[in-house]
Amino acid sequence: MNHLAYLDAGSGSLIVQAVVGGIAGVAVAAKLYWRRLVSRFRRQPTDQS
Amino acid sequence: MVIPDLGRAVWPPARSGTGPRVEPGSFRDPANQVFHAGGDVLRALDETAAAHWRALAGSTFFPQLVAAGKVCGTEELPPGAARELLAVDRLDGTEQRPAWAAVLRHERIPFVSHPYEWSYAMLRDAALLHLEILRVALPAGFTTKDGSAYNLQWRGSQPVFIDVGSFAPLREGEPWAGYRQFCQTLLYPLLLGAHLGLDFQPWLRARIDGIEADQMSGLLRGLRRLSPGVLTHVHLHRSVQRRNAARSTADVRAQLRDAGYTRQMALATVRGMEKLVRRLDHRPPASHWVDYQRTCGYSGADRAGKERFVTAALTGARRSRLVLDLGANDGHYSRLAARHADYVVAVEQDPAVVDRLYLALRDADERRVLPLVLDLADPSPGGGWRGVERASFVARTGADTVLALALVHHLAIGRNVPLPEVVACLAGYAAPGGRLVVEFVHPDDPMAVRLLANKPDGIFPDYRRDAFEALLQGCGSVEDRLELPSGTRTLYQVTLGG
Repeated sequence: MNHLAYLDAGSGSLIVQAVVGGIAGVAVAAKLYWRRLVSRFRRQPTDQS
Repeated sequence: MVIPDLGRAVWPPARSGTGPRVEPGSFRDPANQVFHAGGDVLRALDETAAAHWRALAGSTFFPQLVAAGKVCGTEELPPGAARELLAVDRLDGTEQRPAWAAVLRHERIPFVSHPYEWSYAMLRDAALLHLEILRVALPAGFTTKDGSAYNLQWRGSQPVFIDVGSFAPLREGEPWAGYRQFCQTLLYPLLLGAHLGLDFQPWLRARIDGIEADQMSGLLRGLRRLSPGVLTHVHLHRSVQRRNAARSTADVRAQLRDAGYTRQMALATVRGMEKLVRRLDHRPPASHWVDYQRTCGYSGADRAGKERFVTAALTGARRSRLVLDLGANDGHYSRLAARHADYVVAVEQDPAVVDRLYLALRDADERRVLPLVLDLADPSPGGGWRGVERASFVARTGADTVLALALVHHLAIGRNVPLPEVVACLAGYAAPGGRLVVEFVHPDDPMAVRLLANKPDGIFPDYRRDAFEALLQGCGSVEDRLELPSGTRTLYQVTLGG
């Protein structure tokens, strides 16, 4: 059981913390979104086939 | 670890037939549960929470926070005592869940208060303490599971972090789980005051989980978007929340870890938040209550007589553990009472007056006077789950002495409360056998005349000194009385239920 997670931290609230966590944090948020974008394009051909 | 400030140990609890009582506000985190037993505040921990506690107790930062008074004093009870509690059911009454593995005993907080009873500067100082605790915990490999304003209480003017069960080892690569709760219950209420000039208390009282980013973004539009903290913690926060509403926090945690999130970034967030909160300020417009002591028409002789009477009432019988000063205004009599009592709660309805009083008490490092924002004609109701998760003001009283100086006329004339109701209410705030020190302002007093001028003639035929005295005699024995030199005010000391 994940005892740190008794509270719903909020998905968006977790990501915002990267953005307000300095330049390195902004880079982490950018990387997260970039990876989401890339994975979407990667998945698409298999979805269509 | 034993903290000198823990007070009387009453373990094992006296067998009164009731046994340990579950704290109704302690159920959200199933890993631990707070109980009241024999005058002690206990916290039962499951196996994981017990392991976290032992790691915390063995850390360097935690004992330092306790020694500085920033976290409430805590000690682990011997295993025998813990076994006694294992017999107690969980809140849901079942015994299917794992048994408690350890029991902690906490320092008693003299009077539990809720964030919607604090003034602006109190909420800001509470927020800063929460952030400071997180800032020193993170480098030591700990975090707090939540970020609620309810994690904090007061020893007079000193904020104290009470939720020891909230500390847990930090998982590398994860942001603070309590950030959203911190925003909702601490940051947003502070932004309401700083950027909109609104008192936050009614908002927090109405919503136990605080104010949502959605609500805040609707209030902070136009140029207010550029005010400190608004663009990121409100608008960006809301927009990212919306876009990620369908994603689970587990997925997002994993994505952030993979993208390289570190505790240094969490620290940078906390430092940035501290900087922001320190900048936030709200000076509510001065009401007539701010200068009330100067303008209320007391002569020097009246004041001296009143001080002597109040002092005699507090020193004449056994020492008061708790004094309630109702309608405390600038806290003059609260501070006087604190010389002769263990703890004084100064209740005043005007947030600006309480803010001033808090800042004065904080400057004097006064640990025995707690100022609270509360309208006695509309005191805090019970809140949260079943209306008992946050106890009502009435349920938290039970004072040894109730001071009601220059108050009765404001309730009876200003708020139309029938005089018998006023007396019954004031007496009800005291414990059985307690004392009531009350001032009656005669109908011909200039203040009473001013209040009566706003109401139709003859609307309060019972507002008379003889009627008031008969009511006092009905609820106890009048031990002492003093007519002030001005001749329009009388003070009474009543032993209740006598």
